[in-house]
Amino acid sequence: MGMWMAGGMAEDDKLDREATGKVLRRTIAMIRPYRRRAVGAFALLLVFSLTTLAGPLLVRRAIDDGLQVGNRTVLNQSIVAYVVVAVLAYVSFRAAIASLALVGEGFLRDLRNRVFQQMLRQSMPFYDSNNAGVLVSRMTSDVDSLQILVQLGLLMFVNATLLLIVSLITLTILNPLLLVLSMLTMPFVAAASVKFHRESNRAYLAVRDRVGTTLTSLQEGISGVRVVQAFAREEVQIDRFATTNRDLYLTHMRSVKLGAWYLPVVEMAGAASTALAVGVGGWMVRDGRISLGTVAAFVLILMAMFGPVQQLSQLFNMVQSSAASLHKLYGLLDEPVVIDSTADASPLPASGEIVLDDVSFGYVPDEPVLSGVSMTIAEGERVAFVGPTGAGKSTVAKLIARFYDPTSGTIRIGDMDLRDAAVDSLREHITVVPQEGFLFAGTIAENIRLARPEASDGEIRAALDRVGVLDVFERLPQGLDTEVQERGSRLSAGEKQLVSLARAALADPQILILDEATSSVDPGTESIVEQAMETLMQGRTVIVIAHRLSTSERCDRVAVIDAGELAELGTHDDLVAAGGHYAELFEAWTAGLTT
Amino acid sequence: MSEDLAEAAATDISAAAAGSGWKLLWASIKEERRFIIVGQIVALGWSLGRIAMPLLVQLGIDRGIEQGGSLLMWSLLIACAGLVSAVSLGLRRYVAFRNARLIESRLRDRLFAHMQRLHFSFHDANATGDLMSRANTDLQNFQDVITMIPLSTGQLVLVTGSAIIMLVIEPLLAVAALIALPLVNVLAKRFAKLLHPAIMGVQRESAELATVVEESVAGVRVVKGFGAEDVRAAALSTEANDLRHESLTASFVRSRYVPAMEVAPNIGLIAVLAYGGHLVLEGDLTVGTLVSFNIYVMLLIQPLRSLGMTVANAQRAAGAGVRISQLLAVAPQITAPSQPEHLPAANPRGRVEFSDVSFAYPGHEDDTVLDGLDLVIEAGESVALVGPTGSGKTTLASLLPRFYDADAGSIRLDGVDVRNLDPRELRGAVAIVFEETFLFQASIYENIAFADPSAPEADVRRAAALSGADEFIRDLSDGYNTLVGERGLSLSGGQRQRLSIARAILADPRVLILDDATSAVDPTKEHEIRDALGEAMASRTTIVIAHRPATIALADRVVLLDEGRIVAVGTHTDLLASNERYREVLAADSADATEGEVNA
Repeated sequence: MGMWMAGGMAEDDKLDREATGKVLRRTIAMIRPYRRRAVGAFALLLVFSLTTLAGPLLVRRAIDDGLQVGNRTVLNQSIVAYVVVAVLAYVSFRAAIASLALVGEGFLRDLRNRVFQQMLRQSMPFYDSNNAGVLVSRMTSDVDSLQILVQLGLLMFVNATLLLIVSLITLTILNPLLLVLSMLTMPFVAAASVKFHRESNRAYLAVRDRVGTTLTSLQEGISGVRVVQAFAREEVQIDRFATTNRDLYLTHMRSVKLGAWYLPVVEMAGAASTALAVGVGGWMVRDGRISLGTVAAFVLILMAMFGPVQQLSQLFNMVQSSAASLHKLYGLLDEPVVIDSTADASPLPASGEIVLDDVSFGYVPDEPVLSGVSMTIAEGERVAFVGPTGAGKSTVAKLIARFYDPTSGTIRIGDMDLRDAAVDSLREHITVVPQEGFLFAGTIAENIRLARPEASDGEIRAALDRVGVLDVFERLPQGLDTEVQERGSRLSAGEKQLVSLARAALADPQILILDEATSSVDPGTESIVEQAMETLMQGRTVIVIAHRLSTSERCDRVAVIDAGELAELGTHDDLVAAGGHYAELFEAWTAGLTT
Repeated sequence: MSEDLAEAAATDISAAAAGSGWKLLWASIKEERRFIIVGQIVALGWSLGRIAMPLLVQLGIDRGIEQGGSLLMWSLLIACAGLVSAVSLGLRRYVAFRNARLIESRLRDRLFAHMQRLHFSFHDANATGDLMSRANTDLQNFQDVITMIPLSTGQLVLVTGSAIIMLVIEPLLAVAALIALPLVNVLAKRFAKLLHPAIMGVQRESAELATVVEESVAGVRVVKGFGAEDVRAAALSTEANDLRHESLTASFVRSRYVPAMEVAPNIGLIAVLAYGGHLVLEGDLTVGTLVSFNIYVMLLIQPLRSLGMTVANAQRAAGAGVRISQLLAVAPQITAPSQPEHLPAANPRGRVEFSDVSFAYPGHEDDTVLDGLDLVIEAGESVALVGPTGSGKTTLASLLPRFYDADAGSIRLDGVDVRNLDPRELRGAVAIVFEETFLFQASIYENIAFADPSAPEADVRRAAALSGADEFIRDLSDGYNTLVGERGLSLSGGQRQRLSIARAILADPRVLILDDATSAVDPTKEHEIRDALGEAMASRTTIVIAHRPATIALADRVVLLDEGRIVAVGTHTDLLASNERYREVLAADSADATEGEVNA
């Protein structure tokens, strides 16, 4: 099934009754659009399990009322009925599979979309507190385990459950005493099942743990292969991986041993039931309490039933772990979006004026990063934020872009508190160009279009042209349609930054926040990057998180952030003249010229 | 075959390619043949127990119930048959999984080892995710089918054994009961054939969807910065729709064939009732036999369905096998020559000579990166490679440790052509610090000692000190034992670079290559590293790719590259004074004479 271990789950992942109920209700709500089909699929499966039972019952009637008494008509009727049942079985089963697939796949598609959209709506604090790998695994392994359930397990599970219920009802009607006696071995099966569940869960935990370790080593081996080869450490890494891998094998084997005693118990119980049905049933026939046909039907139904029972114990685990996956996914859907538009949010006014009023902030409570920052940035002004690493200069920018909300104080744009603004309008209004140009799989044009999905090819060209870099990309053999490979590995760091700047040009925001790259790209591209940046800044309010004084020198004003406070604010010349912190930096920088 | 595996997998898998999947399966089975045989034997025990059962039920009904014989005896015999099949079932399960997991484990080792040895251009062309899925998901599918070998044997024996017994008891009735079986077989085969491409489609779409998610999470700052949530959501929605479409295609194939295979045996049951019933009425057949025939047909449903599934699973495993063998079939391009030469032990060491070197990346042959380049770097000399993007600096540096082989010309280290050296020896002599740092999931200490795990602790600490890493490491609460890597402490770009510089220094190479190795280092620290680097460079040949003039100035000589050729060579000062192009290239760096950093 493409899984490491079908079924089995951690005790602490197991849902309690309340959580199970919630998952169930939520799932039912989510399949609402498909509810008719879902009910239809269930009804069809019920019909199918009834057809499975119809066979033995028809044999019973044929034996008792036909063969035993020499009545050919009854035999013929039974045969015709059997043919009808077989056709019905085919039709109902076929329709059930198709319906269930339509419901299940529709549900999965909706689930994928909703979980991902919810993830995207989440703000930065969410991404700070959730490991990226875990988030990805929600959308991949968790949903994939549900996919397997939808494709194979669910059908078998529902079918087996229905068959079991319908069989027990039928056998009770036929003869309750014979049912009880032939099921004497059931308590053993039940006890074995409980023990098996407990131990297989424990084994599953161990396997899951080792699988995680193995996958991590595997991934590390692949993504770090260049370093490994550069230092000629292949053989050592191979040996290390083999140890991890061997450990996984041994853990697998420990869990296999569990199934190796449990399944025989179920098999033996099945045979014992048949033996009892023949023995006890035979004795009851001799006593004249039941017919021979009833014994035959008992034997046949019991046999048809034990297969599904055996499957059920495995399928139950699968369903349980899928429920746990769903629980996690629903948890993600329910996670409140910290930064979201309020009910009465309105679009941000078309203004480039930014006012910070006594703004304090900490990523973690009790660890303030900014305290009491107040300043006003006029429309069309360029302000550079400088300061040592960790002083809080990029935090100010993140607050202005509302990646985070201040712990106290307010930030206003065009006199509207950011918290009252619609998040959509905010994102249109303010563009943040991060340090490193991050590219997504797709063409260069598609990457630029990220900033404004409806933009035409012409507009993209125009955006590139505006920042003066059109020819950089047109030079490439496939031009703007060049596929950037995994994380843009085919473009240089500088080219990636250019794509990033072109995105900003396309977005054409009123306020631009530039996080200057600490790492320098090669000088050739660097000059193009700088020119592009310069063009981009024109006519907007710009906040630059500057790492170079040459950049801050070109800005209208400089804000020096030190230890979370606004230490100095003024024009470059004024600050240099004032002889404060910035002047010191500038002096050191000038001194740098001569070295 | 195509270098780009993903592309190869996307194209139709021809019969020949599918053959490679089967071949891998066969080879794997042969490797474990003893236990495979043991599995077959216990599977046989299971079949025998099961075959005996209907026969015993028949006798129980006819002799026990109808003729008043011993009910107890027949019941006990039925139970005994059950015991035999139950015990065999347990053993079979154990052996089957043992074989499958062992083969899986071995193959994973092989895949990992193979990937570790494959050349850079292979890894450039193939995404990590795709390689991961071959060593993970595909391997799972592959081992699934090995698990099913003894199961299938048992079922096959059960089917044939039952058929023989039925034929012996009542040939015509047996034919009537079994007549539908070939139909199940035909259905199963067609089913497998149709399901296979659908399953491949599902796998492909799943992988594409995973890529969208991974990228969006990794690039969430960009998504937020540009307000591109809707674009990413739309990208995912497209993939989710495609995936649904492929999955439904698979499901519709199932919906046509699974019920048909399920219901087909009913034809046998009806035939038994019709023909057998009339035989009973005529007194030619006992009711017990009629029931036992019924049981036989029912017993056969599960194995037949399962055998059908086996075919489908085997098909899927073959698909997975193809993807695994494709990977294993890629021959490592950079290998040791049969009779490797050795680097001369004599000093001075580290002379590098590029003669008439031309190179283009595989798959981009039209795009010449290096074009007839000649360059000699003397032992102990330090050279800075400067040039605009795409001028070939990194490529030139990558050819020396043979990450790629030059298309024309030769590269010599201390007089020996690098292709005549064992890459291990070569790479022991040339250490590189990549622009993009990579840290392993291990302690800082282990990461530095990666190049030479047996190095004395003092050396590791010295290397850390030289790269300017020692200070920040000691500030960490766990110091050198701090766990880094994906699940460990996240370090800044500059800290990571310092660790990888330490790693290279510890390797004590003849030639040290620093590919933009200080680009992310905080400017305040770069100064310190520069001093340290100066020390490390003084004693060995060094190739530095850098942009900051202060770093370039550390080198004895500057080589200016442009479009894959050397356009000028000289000291930083000379070139600055004499070369217009050099000034142009550097000028960029914000008015380079005024190059400076915020020394906060």
